Amino acid sequence: MDVAIKALAAALAIGISALATALAQRAIGSAGVGAISEKPELIGSVIILIAIPETLVILGFAVAAIILLG
Amino acid sequence: MILEMDRVQIWGMKKYLEKVIPILHNFGNMQLDDIRNVPDAMVQPFSLTEKMQSEREEVDILIASINGLVELFSSLVKTEAQAPLTKDDDILGIKNKVADVTSQVQYLNNRKKTIQDELISLSKYNEMLNVIAPVMPRSSKKSGNASIRALVHTSQMQAMNMLAQQLKLMTRGKFEMISVRVGESTNAIIGIFPLEMISQVETFMKNEKVTQLILPEEYAYLSTDEAVDHIGKKVELDHQELDEIDARLERIAAQWLPRLRTWQLVCKDRVDEFDAYTKLGETEYTFTIFGWIPAENVDELRENLKTNFGKKVTVNVIEIPKELREIIPVSTQNSKAVEPFENFVKMRAVPKYSDVDPGTLVAFFMPLFFGMMVGDVGYGIIMLIIALLVGKKVKPGLISDFLGALKWGSLWAILFGVLYGEYFGTLGESLGLHPLWFSRSNPDNFEKLLVMALAVGVGHIVLGLLIGIWNAVINKSRSHAIERAGTLVALAGLFILGASMLKALPDGYNIVGWIALAVGLVAMSVSMGGIGMIMGPIEFVGVIGNILSYLRIAALGLASVFLAKVANDMSGMVGSAAAGVLIALLIHALNLVMGMLSPTIQSLRLQYVEFFRKFYEGGQSSFTPFRKRINVVFAPSNIKEMSKE
Repeated sequence: MDVAIKALAAALAIGISALATALAQRAIGSAGVGAISEKPELIGSVIILIAIPETLVILGFAVAAIILLG
Repeated sequence: MILEMDRVQIWGMKKYLEKVIPILHNFGNMQLDDIRNVPDAMVQPFSLTEKMQSEREEVDILIASINGLVELFSSLVKTEAQAPLTKDDDILGIKNKVADVTSQVQYLNNRKKTIQDELISLSKYNEMLNVIAPVMPRSSKKSGNASIRALVHTSQMQAMNMLAQQLKLMTRGKFEMISVRVGESTNAIIGIFPLEMISQVETFMKNEKVTQLILPEEYAYLSTDEAVDHIGKKVELDHQELDEIDARLERIAAQWLPRLRTWQLVCKDRVDEFDAYTKLGETEYTFTIFGWIPAENVDELRENLKTNFGKKVTVNVIEIPKELREIIPVSTQNSKAVEPFENFVKMRAVPKYSDVDPGTLVAFFMPLFFGMMVGDVGYGIIMLIIALLVGKKVKPGLISDFLGALKWGSLWAILFGVLYGEYFGTLGESLGLHPLWFSRSNPDNFEKLLVMALAVGVGHIVLGLLIGIWNAVINKSRSHAIERAGTLVALAGLFILGASMLKALPDGYNIVGWIALAVGLVAMSVSMGGIGMIMGPIEFVGVIGNILSYLRIAALGLASVFLAKVANDMSGMVGSAAAGVLIALLIHALNLVMGMLSPTIQSLRLQYVEFFRKFYEGGQSSFTPFRKRINVVFAPSNIKEMSKE
């Protein structure tokens, strides 16, 4: 039972943070593509902006790792 | 490496200016400053002479003509070729040849338009005659008979019948009328009568305002069948001629398009020279040019001008004014292998003149992180083959930079694949190939993988902070130096604390850790001024977040290895061996594509967000030298000839 709850908790930690990342990237990505079509030189900044919310899922991954290893 | 840049002033007698500009253009290593933006310039901006202005206008018109031809020819032939320069490729020669090509193209296009218009008319006649032909009475084919054709609205048919009665009376009963429906509300009327009465009938029709369907003169006196036959032959001939014109246009396009592309560049180079004139300064007898040259090229220019003009034109290296120090153009010089990574750095921002050029560092760390994430011998080999094969065929740009980075990344992927023992995921293990270090697919090694990713993060961030301190010292920015040093000390304190908690260090180190952490945080806060008390600790938490961000190396690696494992396992679950192999191939292909894109973006992000923020400011402008797009020398004689025209 404990193992099952741990697995569920880890899955929720990474799943919910992945959803949050996806929501943020959806908004940033569409705006970023619009910006690049106007100013192609902004591609570097847009990559950063798109990649920033991925920290959320990485932190989710870290939490999941702590749950599973703890 | 960021090249050292010198600010130079070229001064000389104005009569040599027309020769100095082409020499500078051929030299190709000097960025010209607009005299209007030079502080304390004591000379007025150069004004183009009337001759120069009219020549420039002619070149602009020539460029417009060439652009038009290039656009037209590009739609006819698919070639990216560019012809080599010939001796005749000066502005005058280009102008004559472009006029020649334009006149040929105009003639062919006009002829094409005429034929197309004719075909449209003929198709209308043909359509009409084809409707009429089957209902034409035999009497119309008898010699001595003539016919008229007209189109009338259905509502006018009653009036038309009355007119037919009148015509019958006029021709003593020899007028015969047939009507046939050719559209929703249109009727075609055919009248047959003796040939000698044609003028009377036509006059009558004209007076009654009935519009005749008049065929072109060459068909007007033919019977309907003969006219249909003739029109058919004419349509065939027209189509043949159209095909010949298209083939001729394609031949002209294939012959001239590569040369036109070359001429585009030659003309743009000429325009660049006129623009260069407008940037320099002049007095009644002299000219002055200000600009930037890489220090290593100054002597070359000096020798060049000395050989051509002796002491009449001089080059002086001058002190860089304080207000221009922040806008020194930046030129970097790195080996060919580093070039793609240099472009990735510039995508973020051009380095500052005083920055450490991060190109080489990115060239090392970006492929390394990529390799750590992919870490598979099989995928690495395929990626290397793709990068080598496709890399040769693509034009310079983002894709070629990506493939350049992929080449090095795939080598690291192969190396880490050997360390992790991954050959298309777990396939190697089942064949007896064991990891040299640890297997990522084994859950027992999960902790090891996380520690490796965090250790890489710590190393990368610490390196960034050390470079940041170095940059701050060079730029004499005390606050930045203290902030970065404080971060380093606080990080060291945190690690000592962690190590002593995990009993890796003796208990006494606990206090050392606390002291280092406190000193580091205070240093960070002090360096940030008034808001430092709040911002210092927040910034430090951010740095820890940056280190945790390197966990993506582990996360992406796990995703990749487990997707490969799924591919291998699923192939065994399907009954048919062929279906199993197909499924495995599809999943591996998906994993490969994801493995090329995602780790590239993630490793680039680790450079941009985590690493660069510790030391990199950037934002300066690139060195844009006054350089020829194509190497050709404009002979002054040609300029004279052209201006005479």
